[in-house]
Amino acid sequence: MADAPLVVENLSFQYRTRPEVAIKDISFELHQGEMLLIAGSSGCGKTTLARCINGLIPRSYRGKREGSIRLNGKEIADMPLADVAQVVGTLLQDPERQIVASNVFSEIAFGPENLGLPRDEIIRRIDQVLKRLKIEYLRDRETFNLSGGEKQKVALAGLLVMQPSILLLDEPLASLDPASAHEALEIFRGLADEGTTIILIEHRVEDAISARPDRLMYMEDGQVRYLGGIEKLPPEIDHHKVKLPASWVVERIRALGERMDYVPPAKLKTDSDPLVVFNHVNFGYNEEKQVLYDINFQINRGDLIAVLGPNGAGKSTLVKHAIGLLKPTAGQVLVEGKDTRKMSVAQVARVLGYVFQSPTHMLFAPTVKEELAFGPQNLEFPKAAIDKSVRESVETVNLNGLEEYPPLGLSFGQQKRTTIAAVLAMQSKIMVLDEPTAGQDYANYTRFMDAMCGATERKKSLLAENFAATMFITHDIDLAVTYANRVLIVSAGRLVADGRPEDVLKDFDLLERCRVRPSSLLRLNLEMFSQTGSFMPAEKLAQYLP
Amino acid sequence: MLVSWKYRPRNTIIQRLDPRSRLIFLACVILGITIPNIWDIRLIFPLFLITVGLYLLARIEWKDVRRTWLFIFILIFFIVGLNGLLSGRGGPTSVMQDTSAPLFSIPLFIPGTTWGFVLKITIVRVFFAMTQIMRMLSMAILAIPIPYTMDPNIYGITFRRMGVSDKVSFTMDLAFRFLPTLARDLSITIDAQRARGYEMDSLKGGIVARLRRLAPLIVPVTMQSTVTGEEVIDAMDLRAFGTAPRTWIRALSFAPRDYIFMGLGLAIFITFLVFKFVFGVGEFWVPPEALAWANG
Repeated sequence: MADAPLVVENLSFQYRTRPEVAIKDISFELHQGEMLLIAGSSGCGKTTLARCINGLIPRSYRGKREGSIRLNGKEIADMPLADVAQVVGTLLQDPERQIVASNVFSEIAFGPENLGLPRDEIIRRIDQVLKRLKIEYLRDRETFNLSGGEKQKVALAGLLVMQPSILLLDEPLASLDPASAHEALEIFRGLADEGTTIILIEHRVEDAISARPDRLMYMEDGQVRYLGGIEKLPPEIDHHKVKLPASWVVERIRALGERMDYVPPAKLKTDSDPLVVFNHVNFGYNEEKQVLYDINFQINRGDLIAVLGPNGAGKSTLVKHAIGLLKPTAGQVLVEGKDTRKMSVAQVARVLGYVFQSPTHMLFAPTVKEELAFGPQNLEFPKAAIDKSVRESVETVNLNGLEEYPPLGLSFGQQKRTTIAAVLAMQSKIMVLDEPTAGQDYANYTRFMDAMCGATERKKSLLAENFAATMFITHDIDLAVTYANRVLIVSAGRLVADGRPEDVLKDFDLLERCRVRPSSLLRLNLEMFSQTGSFMPAEKLAQYLP
Repeated sequence: MLVSWKYRPRNTIIQRLDPRSRLIFLACVILGITIPNIWDIRLIFPLFLITVGLYLLARIEWKDVRRTWLFIFILIFFIVGLNGLLSGRGGPTSVMQDTSAPLFSIPLFIPGTTWGFVLKITIVRVFFAMTQIMRMLSMAILAIPIPYTMDPNIYGITFRRMGVSDKVSFTMDLAFRFLPTLARDLSITIDAQRARGYEMDSLKGGIVARLRRLAPLIVPVTMQSTVTGEEVIDAMDLRAFGTAPRTWIRALSFAPRDYIFMGLGLAIFITFLVFKFVFGVGEFWVPPEALAWANG
């Protein structure tokens, strides 16, 4: 009998620079055409395991490795990296950083070029793989201008052209909108059906199961806690750490008898005078490229707005108008009654604070305290007011004790909180968050969102307490279901829906047209709406079932 | 967008040339002017005409190249204006021995004071300025079209085929690939900090103070680049970069037109050398008739 494509035996690894073992005593075997889903929260060891399988450990990352990994019967440590690369193709999390050439054709050629294959053979293989992924039309495009989904397909083509028998996909859905993620999963399934062995690392189990993986491996603290079929998952799998379908979570909650303290966002108010008004706003970077068409809406006190829509729909452009970074080419945006054309960005910042998606795009100061003082200083607050504001925002987002730390040395979650505190310190009235959950694993992002938006019977949420209104741009429809009292859907530069989540999100035809994919939590909420009367997280829904 | 691709495919003889022959031609012209230090307008002018001809053959749209030319003109105006016309001392002007009578004079005084001097324009200075402009333009006019007319995807192979190693050559391609990414990161960071009330126009004070004011932009962009760099290295390792001599999928080959073009470059280089070192022609030159006329 031929050797299995991948055999891992008693594998352990400890990085030279870290005191603790990263993965411990891992054993499993994969067969041709099998798809294994590996799930777990950050730090569970899944990235280290991936680096062992693709050969970066022990070549690029040094440390103590025990046990063995055999690719088609050969020990990986004895193989040159060029040989490993022809067996295991690795798709990294962010295709933007995996693509090394300016042009699609050159990008796909990169691997075979490095192997020194003859030119005719390379061209033959490129044409084959373009056809296989149905992306012939991208052949001569520049890589920088591709959409996220296209970039990922091109990165994948760059791996398939080396004809690997195993594909290692490291959180491949992280940078895609849900519709593109779904397409990517279909492609992975297709490749497995054609005989490629696939390892899919993903904490969003709910999404990943649509690729119908054969088995699930669940990791915690560097060890395998579960390895087996996907149908009946044992209780060891923590639904706080990986995102399971809502109905599975409900079953678990009922079995475990957990209760959840959840207060839905306050109902929409319409009577106040608006904080921000969009009045027939049109925008284009030039005459040929119109981005926004006739946008009309208002932001009122008490709004918790989720802005949904696929990548490239114009969500960010719309929000940049609210914060004055862009000015409309026609129509007007009024912030507290004043036209943004007559205001500087700094003046608008007193009303709207914007937290960008990636903390590394904005953090720069040597200490957290200085980072937080930056905004108020720019807005020329008096010294005493700055100190007070910084102290209070540190308190609010719970960064106590970290005031003198360099923000760039903090964990991702702490960095994210620092960016929130930086906006808090400016005492803006409206908080605008761009993709608040991006770059975090499920456990961290639910913790983060609960800390920001979670309210109890006695206490309002952190955001509601400190801001008159909040607006977040997101791909994650569950954020809209759980934390918003108003949903805007942007599609192809137009505002196509604006209303309460339970009104807007029940229109599945509209969602499909706008490439917004309903989640299992949304479906379950709609099914149970007659009993619950409002949207809520799965943990709370469990309490309504008999 | 801060950076957009300047290159566009065009069906021109210039873009059909092998990039190597264009770089070699450019090198011949620059070395032909600088090694024998040619300042004779009788040699510079025909070269200037050739390079203008080549520029026109590249058929670059004026709107694309307008800003670059503006920059070049300002630069040349300052260099020529300050060097040749005003001071007349030091630098390249040392080639000029000005004995001619002034054509006319321009008094340059700060109004209401006696600070300033009288600018004397002479025929020698006028010729010097013309020669210097043409000398600089001959080189600039060959170099400016390169980013507009050379496919960014072939820089790597061009250098590889000129004898540079695989790794260094690919670095060229990588630089072109990540330039727009860097520009995008910078523009996001500018937006992020402006939303925190940061204003770039308020860059006041000395160099240290200015750099401090730039930290909110420089630090995040550097951090992003470092993180990107680490991942790109992993990605390249995983696709077997540097494990063996690589194939370069894009082929370059010299056509007869390339040999003619390189021959022309070489001919210019040799002609200039011969004029200077065999015939002693090439020093700064003013037509004797013009000098006689100016001196009355």
